[in-house]
Amino acid sequence: MSISVTPSIERSLPRAAIGGLTVAAILFIAFVVLPSVGSDYLFEAILTPFLALALAGVGLNLLTGYAGQVSLGSAAFMAVGAFAAYNFNLRVPELPFLVSIVLAGLTAAGIGLIFGLPSLRLRGFYLAVSTLAAQFFVQWALTKFGWFSNDNPSGIINAPPLKIASVTFDTAVGRYLFSLGIVTVLTFLAWRLTRAQTGRNFIAVRDNQTAARVIGVPVLRTKLLAFAVSSFIIGVAGVLWAFAYLRTVEPAGFNLDRSFQILFIIIIGGLASIRGAFLGAGFIVVFPLLLSRLGGELLGGIVDSGVVEMSQRIVIGALIILFLIAEPKGLAELGRRAARRLGGRPT
Amino acid sequence: MSSATTGALLPAGDLYPFEPAGVTRDPGRSRSGPAERGADVESAQPGAERDAVLAISGVSLRFGGVTALADIDLTVAPGEIRGVIGPNGAGKSSLLNIVSGLYRPSAGHVRIAGVDFTEVPTQRLAHLGVARTFQNLALFGGLTVLENVVMGLTSTIRSGPLGQVLGLPAARREDAANRAKAEAIVAFLHLSGVAHRPAGELSYGLQKRVELARALVARPRLLLLDEPMAGMTATEKQELAAFVREARDTYGTTIVLIEHDIGVVMGLCDRVAVLDYGRKIADGTPHDIAADPLVIDAYLGVAHDADETLEIEEAV
Ligand SMILES: Nc1ncnc2c1ncn2[C@@H]1O[C@H](COP(=O)(O)OP(=O)(O)O)[C@@H](O)[C@H]1O
Ligand SMILES: [Mg+2]
Repeated sequence: MSISVTPSIERSLPRAAIGGLTVAAILFIAFVVLPSVGSDYLFEAILTPFLALALAGVGLNLLTGYAGQVSLGSAAFMAVGAFAAYNFNLRVPELPFLVSIVLAGLTAAGIGLIFGLPSLRLRGFYLAVSTLAAQFFVQWALTKFGWFSNDNPSGIINAPPLKIASVTFDTAVGRYLFSLGIVTVLTFLAWRLTRAQTGRNFIAVRDNQTAARVIGVPVLRTKLLAFAVSSFIIGVAGVLWAFAYLRTVEPAGFNLDRSFQILFIIIIGGLASIRGAFLGAGFIVVFPLLLSRLGGELLGGIVDSGVVEMSQRIVIGALIILFLIAEPKGLAELGRRAARRLGGRPT
Repeated sequence: MSSATTGALLPAGDLYPFEPAGVTRDPGRSRSGPAERGADVESAQPGAERDAVLAISGVSLRFGGVTALADIDLTVAPGEIRGVIGPNGAGKSSLLNIVSGLYRPSAGHVRIAGVDFTEVPTQRLAHLGVARTFQNLALFGGLTVLENVVMGLTSTIRSGPLGQVLGLPAARREDAANRAKAEAIVAFLHLSGVAHRPAGELSYGLQKRVELARALVARPRLLLLDEPMAGMTATEKQELAAFVREARDTYGTTIVLIEHDIGVVMGLCDRVAVLDYGRKIADGTPHDIAADPLVIDAYLGVAHDADETLEIEEAV
């Protein structure tokens, strides 16, 4: 027996070390290298939205990938986060901004909990449809009640600058670094969660509810916890989207399209994978830019921009389908396999 | 206790507070070699026999017009391996589902460890010291073998999500202790080689064994096994039978075993109940059962060919 244990530990230890080193290297590049070499365009148009969407992907992956509860309400929870942060900041000015963000996350968690209640009875497709209610209700409420946007006639509010203590993050790099810090911390906590008993409970509920119940997993509480934690993270992602990327707070940006976009991110990136959320978000953000650059250079003179944009959507749609057929486990699995091949390790 | 000698290879730990009792076994009846390490069970004090670990009384179950179970009585004494056999659709799985609270009986009640239930609360099952496996594979395919087994300890978890995420000392200690317990059971069932593989990727036979490990890890007082050997090769069956016997001998676990392989049942069980069309048509030692004309008519003679009937006689 001991003979068979040893190789698996030997194999898993360096793998963990390699993983740790990779993460450290990525963080070093993201925190130190990029800020000194990147352009404003890179930070504003690519990296900041990428971070916000990746964080939303991490949140949704906890709920859908790990706990198996499909949701189409992600954008609603982002909106709740964004508007809650705006209102906490506006109405309780003495609150530090970071505290407003945490409260915004908690507000989103509360709303997520309420819209997670149907999951106690519904599964799969039916649950997905019921989460649409969150999507429509939140958008309706934010548009209907002026109080949420401080009775601003256009419904579009300029977001206040990001601040921690006396430091203001009002440059492109600053907003990027602010987002990066928050995304790093929350992703780390989410990763810890997936590795803990609670994360195993999520997977148990997803893989076999009856067996989970018999073992003593509190199934209902686990589902609601998944909704709450996921909505917290997605809510904070909404704050970043509005405050760090768009710098306006408006309901329109948090529509059903956005919910689908986040769902695509975790499907393309890989369900039940933290890394997958980042890979998927990278794909969704960067790929259209590359495509339009390419399309612009090849056809720019001949075809008008509307057609380029349309063909871009079609290409992305086709790629998503191709991807789902060829690699249903997403980019994360693709990367894992490539690494394995490079490392020359069996299995 | 003699089990201490067997215990050398096995996870250390305290045995159950009760003595396996009321069980008389003839060593010659057991056919499988590996588990036989002379672990004999002393007869306990008189009266212990009446303290059944599980007592099912007058249980009926109807699905619309179908009567799945009719007025079933069944007692399981501490430390015994209790067989339940019968043709497909006889109601064996339904009986276990009632004991684990997945089905609510139309009549009758279930007594587990001295507590009476008309409907067993599934959520409290683990706390009552009951664990089970399922007829169809019911592993968590996305978790590794070891993680699946750790999940068997869920009912003992005290730390909350926040403590786990922040890695508070209590949560860490608990996690490490549970992992150690799971590793011991995994080694006990010879699963160490696949401990870090996703459970869903294993062969059917191995998955069945992982399910047994997950059920055993919390040291249940009562273990319900629904066709744990279905679909296994003869060798795998013998191996699993040995594990089941060893679990009883080492931990004093009381076991209810549903199994189609008559040879295994006859060799392993102390008492066997026979169900047919939702009724209990016989109940007794394997020897009595094999000789019962009702049983031979209703089950053995019909469902199995001559070879297997011979095997029974050989086994008894
Ligand atoms: N959930 C259910 N709904 C309807 N009928 C059921 C259900 N479970 C079992 N039955 C019926 O109860 C009877 C006994 O089934 P079961 O307990 O699975 O038998 P066994 O395990 O002995 O093969 C069968 O007629 C089966 O169709
Ligand atoms: Mg059955």
